[in-house]
Amino acid sequence: MAEIIVVTSGKGGVGKTTTSASVACGLARRGKRVAVIDFDIGLRNLDLIMGCERRVVYDFVNVIQGDCTLKQALIKDKRIETLFVLAASQTRDKDALSLEGVRKVFDELIADGFDYIICDSPAGIEKGAHLAMYYADRAVVVVNPEVSSVRDSDRILGLLASKTQRAEKGEEKIKEHLLLTRYSPRRVTTGEMMSVADVKEILGLDVIGVIPESPDVLSASNAGTPVILNEQSDVSKAYEDAVARLLGDTLPLRFLDEPKKGFLARMFGG
Amino acid sequence: MNKPLEAVREPAVEIRFGQVGLAQVRIRTTDAGVILDELTGRVASAPQFFERTAVCLDLSALEKEPTASDMRAVFDAVRRAGMLAVGLAHGTQAVDTLARSLDVPVLTQFRVQGKASPVQPVKEAPKAAPPPIEPPVLHPPSLMQHQPVRSGQRVYARNSDLVVTSTVGAGAEVIADGCVHIYGTLRGRAVAGARGEVTARVFCQEFHAELISIAGVFRVFETLPPELVGKPVQAWLDGDDLRFARIGG
Repeated sequence: MAEIIVVTSGKGGVGKTTTSASVACGLARRGKRVAVIDFDIGLRNLDLIMGCERRVVYDFVNVIQGDCTLKQALIKDKRIETLFVLAASQTRDKDALSLEGVRKVFDELIADGFDYIICDSPAGIEKGAHLAMYYADRAVVVVNPEVSSVRDSDRILGLLASKTQRAEKGEEKIKEHLLLTRYSPRRVTTGEMMSVADVKEILGLDVIGVIPESPDVLSASNAGTPVILNEQSDVSKAYEDAVARLLGDTLPLRFLDEPKKGFLARMFGG
Repeated sequence: MNKPLEAVREPAVEIRFGQVGLAQVRIRTTDAGVILDELTGRVASAPQFFERTAVCLDLSALEKEPTASDMRAVFDAVRRAGMLAVGLAHGTQAVDTLARSLDVPVLTQFRVQGKASPVQPVKEAPKAAPPPIEPPVLHPPSLMQHQPVRSGQRVYARNSDLVVTSTVGAGAEVIADGCVHIYGTLRGRAVAGARGEVTARVFCQEFHAELISIAGVFRVFETLPPELVGKPVQAWLDGDDLRFARIGG
């Protein structure tokens, strides 16, 4: 049975799309069949991060409105066999989506044998975000270690607990996971940034991953390569760990401390 | 296509609590004619102020308890004078009974008024600080909330205490007609005695509150008092003042 995972946050710019792309890649590289769907209708981004923007012919809205089949709209990733992208429409607005339409697409993906459906939620708590989370079995709440992001995540967690199908039908609760992004151990030490423990304490959830702040994320986005595929990067290792934890592994958190400066760097004040 | 979704998302009603100023009309007679004459004169003196204004009738100055039919005539007179009587001011048990038979609300004064009226009849016990509108017994057991109350969520315990075994996030609201007990961290707002119960209290295990309110008296914490922050704290109403203290020293 396929598992539907929503990547959400409330606040914009915290790394939802980066996370969706990397988690989807990480799962697919482990042999899972994965579809990653951009729910940000009108502000299409996932295709850029995945590097398939020039291959988008049909999108999510076209499928829902019956302009094309799901197969026509799914873009097969060039790097990983089992990974597919369903792009958002850039020209429509969020009213083009409906709960029934989304359900139909999910049912078709499930019938097609997908293991994971990753829903990249738009920012905010409006219709787009609601649709992205409504059918989810799990939620990855992406949070930056700062107060406004933490508060927005708290709000999103409240909605996950009340405005989703599982909540409305009184079924088993959605599994919620926290993923901290743009974590800078140095700034935590200086008190500019909240620590993992602070965020965990306020939101009362377990942390599935801590992604260090790194320029690698931006260069990966520019290159259209999900950052998890840049294996030299700590960001990639941190996302790999998060994917492993999603699949049930227990691993200690990494990259929580400032990297030790090497001898030369210390000599030259690098 | 979108209709069912909207139906799920948008509740038909939204209940909000707020305080409004309300004129009180204290009557010294139940003679509808006299009241009509006098009120008509008052309304005419400041029509833009009194015309269709909602008023609450205060019966505490009457020498004997009026009957329901007396009161119907008084309501009618007030309406004909141009005001709209919406209820009776809180008073004795007899006022409650009267309000019930007239099918109008009893409006509680949120704060105990310092000075009693000069013609306070004996029947109104001076110490009877406004009891709840409902019968004093809290019928339903406390409302239990085991999930965290997240930012933007609101939990209301009607006619009872509220017990939260988890945390109340910043921007969340927990409200009870009775006391509010939080066995976790309070970062949001806690409102006890939402309908005027002045003996209601707020208790929490870890105090980081944004706002505490009891029976309409509230305090906003722009900065948290260092002696209370993160500690187990209770809040109660002492006359018109909200007081706070650590629990267990």
